[in-house]
Amino acid sequence: MTFRQGQKVEIFQPSTDESWEKYMGGFIGLHGIITDPDASKNDPDALIEVSLDEKGTHRLPQDCLRIIE
Amino acid sequence: MDSQTCSVKALHDRLGQMLNDGVLTHPRCRQRATEIFDLVHDVSQGRGGHGHMDSILDLAQILADEGFTPVCRDLGEHVTSFVGQHREEFLSHIRTHTCPTGRCPMLTPAPCQMACPAGIDIPSYVTLVGQGKYEEAISIIRRDNPFPWICGLVCTHPCEFMCVRGRMDKPISIMDLKGFAAERAMSARSYKNPEPFPANGRKVCVIGAGPGGLTAAYYLALRGYGVTVIESLPVAGGMMMVGIPRYRLPREVIDREVAMIEALGVEIRLNTRLGRDVTIDSLRSEGFEAFLLAIGAHGSYKLMLPGEDDFKGVIPAVSFLRKVSLGDHRRPGSRVAVVGGGNVAIDAARTCLRLGCDEVSILYRRSHDQMPAHHEEVVEAEEEGVRFSFLTIPKQIRGEDGRVTGIVCVRAELSQPDESGRRRPVPVEGSEHVIGVDVIIPAIGQEVQNKGLEPLEEVGWTRRNTIRVNTVTMQTDQEGVFAVGDAVTGPATVVEAIAGGKKAAYAIHRHFEGIAQPTLPRVPVRRGRLEHFDVPASLKTDLDRPMMDRLSNERRRITFQQVHLGLSEHQAHEESKRCLRCDICIRCGKCVEICRDKMGIEALQLGYMDFDNPGPTDLRITAERCIACGACATNCPTGAMEMNERDGYRELCLCGTVLNRLQLEYCEACGAVLGPARYHDFIFKRLQDISPASNGRRLCLECARHQSGGQHAEINPPPR
Repeated sequence: MTFRQGQKVEIFQPSTDESWEKYMGGFIGLHGIITDPDASKNDPDALIEVSLDEKGTHRLPQDCLRIIE
Repeated sequence: MDSQTCSVKALHDRLGQMLNDGVLTHPRCRQRATEIFDLVHDVSQGRGGHGHMDSILDLAQILADEGFTPVCRDLGEHVTSFVGQHREEFLSHIRTHTCPTGRCPMLTPAPCQMACPAGIDIPSYVTLVGQGKYEEAISIIRRDNPFPWICGLVCTHPCEFMCVRGRMDKPISIMDLKGFAAERAMSARSYKNPEPFPANGRKVCVIGAGPGGLTAAYYLALRGYGVTVIESLPVAGGMMMVGIPRYRLPREVIDREVAMIEALGVEIRLNTRLGRDVTIDSLRSEGFEAFLLAIGAHGSYKLMLPGEDDFKGVIPAVSFLRKVSLGDHRRPGSRVAVVGGGNVAIDAARTCLRLGCDEVSILYRRSHDQMPAHHEEVVEAEEEGVRFSFLTIPKQIRGEDGRVTGIVCVRAELSQPDESGRRRPVPVEGSEHVIGVDVIIPAIGQEVQNKGLEPLEEVGWTRRNTIRVNTVTMQTDQEGVFAVGDAVTGPATVVEAIAGGKKAAYAIHRHFEGIAQPTLPRVPVRRGRLEHFDVPASLKTDLDRPMMDRLSNERRRITFQQVHLGLSEHQAHEESKRCLRCDICIRCGKCVEICRDKMGIEALQLGYMDFDNPGPTDLRITAERCIACGACATNCPTGAMEMNERDGYRELCLCGTVLNRLQLEYCEACGAVLGPARYHDFIFKRLQDISPASNGRRLCLECARHQSGGQHAEINPPPR
C-alpha cells in the first residue's frame, strides 16, 4: 500500500519498523491526513508525513496506517 | 496520568466537585478551597501568573496545617503532593498558555498550529496580517520558525490540509499569507531579530548550513551559545539553496534570512567539508562541546541500468540542480529525459526548459495519478511544455562516441491490485523502443552521504542509511551529538528540518544545563489570543481563496524569475478574514447541540466541526432561524460564541463572524429591553397556553405578570 497526499488515514496498529518509538503508541486509534508521502518514488518502505487530528504532524512508517476513506 | 489527561484540569475538576458536593463543611476550609480553586481556574484559563504556583502551594499547606476536619487536611496534603508531582505541567500552562492535552478549552492550539511541524501560532499571525501588522506577524512566526519568507514560498503547508475552513470550502492560504507578511516586513526593514541572551561562553558546532542546522543555530544563538556552522558548499542554505530552483525560491530570499541569523553572531564557514578541511577532533580542540549533524541527503540513487556509467550526459538530478543553483546556466543538451515522477524530477525538467533545452520529457514507470510529485507542480510543468511519458520503463542507456544518444524503454501496463492494493507496472512484451536524447537525468531518490562522520563511532545508523535519533530530542546514540533534517528523516520537507532544528536546540540547551530531556514531543505554544475581526456571515461565506498572480508562461520558459508573484495587500487582508479562528473556537459542538436539542431551533449549521464526517456548513442560515436567545453563547466554554447588545440591536457572533443581528424591542409598559421580536414571540408562544397575559401588547415578563395579576379580582398587585 502506498499513500497519496490528502488521504485520510487511521493509525490502526503499532509498526514493526525500527523507527517506531515508544511515544507513538499513544497515536494508535487517531485519525489524520497524509501531508507528505514519499515524493520521490512512492516507496512503500519510506517514512511518510501524517498530520494527526489535534496531535501534530509526525513522520511514520506506513505499516501502521490504513486509509479510512 | 497518561498523555491524554491534563493535571491542571484534573485538579480543577476535583476541587470543583468537592465544593459542589458540600463535603468541605468547615467555613474556613471551604474558603481556602475556593481560593485554591480560583487560582487553578486561572491557570486553566491562561490567566495564571508567576505567583500562582506558590500561592496554590501556600494555601494548600495552610489547609493541611489548620486541619479543621480530616477531609480538609487530606485535601491540603493532596493538593501539595499533586501540584509538586505535576509541577512542570502547571508551569507550562502558566508560561506558554498552552494545554498539551487540549483538555483546557481556553488553551487549546488550533488544528493548523498543531499540524505545523514547527508549531507556528498560525491564527495569531493570520489575524495580524489582516490588521496590517506585518512586523508583529513575523515576530510571532520567528518564535517558532526563523525562515518565514522561505516557508512562505516553498513550505508543503500541512497546516492547510488540517485547516478547518477546508471542511467548509477551501483552506486558508496560510503559506501565502506568511510569504506576504515576510516580504512586506523585510521590505519595510521591520523584520528584526529578537534580543539574544548574553553570551554564556559555550560553543556548539553545527555541521551543515541547511534549514535544520541554521534553525538550531538561530535558537542556540538566541540562548547565548557561540555557534559555528560548517558548510561544504560555497553558499549557505543547504537544499533550499541548491535543491530548490530559483523560480520557486529566489536566492535573495535565502540570503536575507540567513543574514538575519548571521547577525546574531552565528559564524558560517563556507567551503569547509567535514573530513577534508576539518575533523571532529580538530573541532573538539577548538572548544566545541556539542555537535549537531545536519548534513542533508545530497547523494542520488543510481538507475542501475546498462550504460549508465559509460557515456557522458547522465547527470543525477541532485547534482544537476546544484550546478545550476551555483551559477552554471549552460544548456546540458538539446533533448532531455528525466527519469522519475517525484518533485525533484519536475524541478529538474522545468530547470532544463529554462536553460534552453529543446525537448524535455519525464519518463515515469507508473500512471499520471500515481505520480508522487505534488499536483500543482505537475500542472505547472505541463503548462511550461514538459512532456510526460507514463507507463514507460527505462531498460538501457545507449550512446556513441562517449555521449548518450538515447534511452531504451519498454511500455508497461498496470497489473491488477496486489494484496496491498497496489497496481504494479508490468512490461509489455515487444514494446521496446528507443527515445533519442542526449541528456538523461535520473531523479529516483536521494541518500545520505556519511563521509567524514566515521570518527563519531557511537552514532547509529538505520537500515535506511539515515542517522538514528530519538525524535523527541534529536539526540543520537552518542552523548553530545545531535542530528536533524534529511540526514535523519531521509529526503523530507524544509519545515520538518526546521522543526528538528528547534527541537535539537532545546535539547542541546538541556544537555548543557543537565536538565532531564522530554519524553514526549513538544506541543506547539500559543503565542496569544488576539481579538478577532467582525465579519458578516455572508461575507465570511462568500470570500473565496485568492488566486495568486503568476508569471506569464512565455517568460517562465526562458527565465528563472519567480513564478508565483505573491498576494496583493487587499487579497491578504480579505484572506485573513476567512479564518475561522480555531484558536478560540474549539469546535466542541455545544452551541449546536443546545440550539438543536434544548431550544429546538436548529439555527446553527456548522458541519465543519466534525473532522471525520464533516457535514454541510451554512453560516447565513443562522440569521434566518436564530431567535437570539443566547443559550449557545452562555454554554460556550471558550467565549467563542458571543451575544452582545449595541445600538439597539442584539448580535450573535462566532469568533467575530456576525451570525445574526436583530433589532431589540422594548416593553410597552416600562421600557425594559424585551429582546428581539423573534425571541419575544418564541417565549410568549410557549407561555400562551399558561397565561394569555399580554393581549397582543409587547410587555416584559414582569409587566405581563402584573397585568395578569390585575385580571384576577382576588389579587391586589402592588403598584408599579
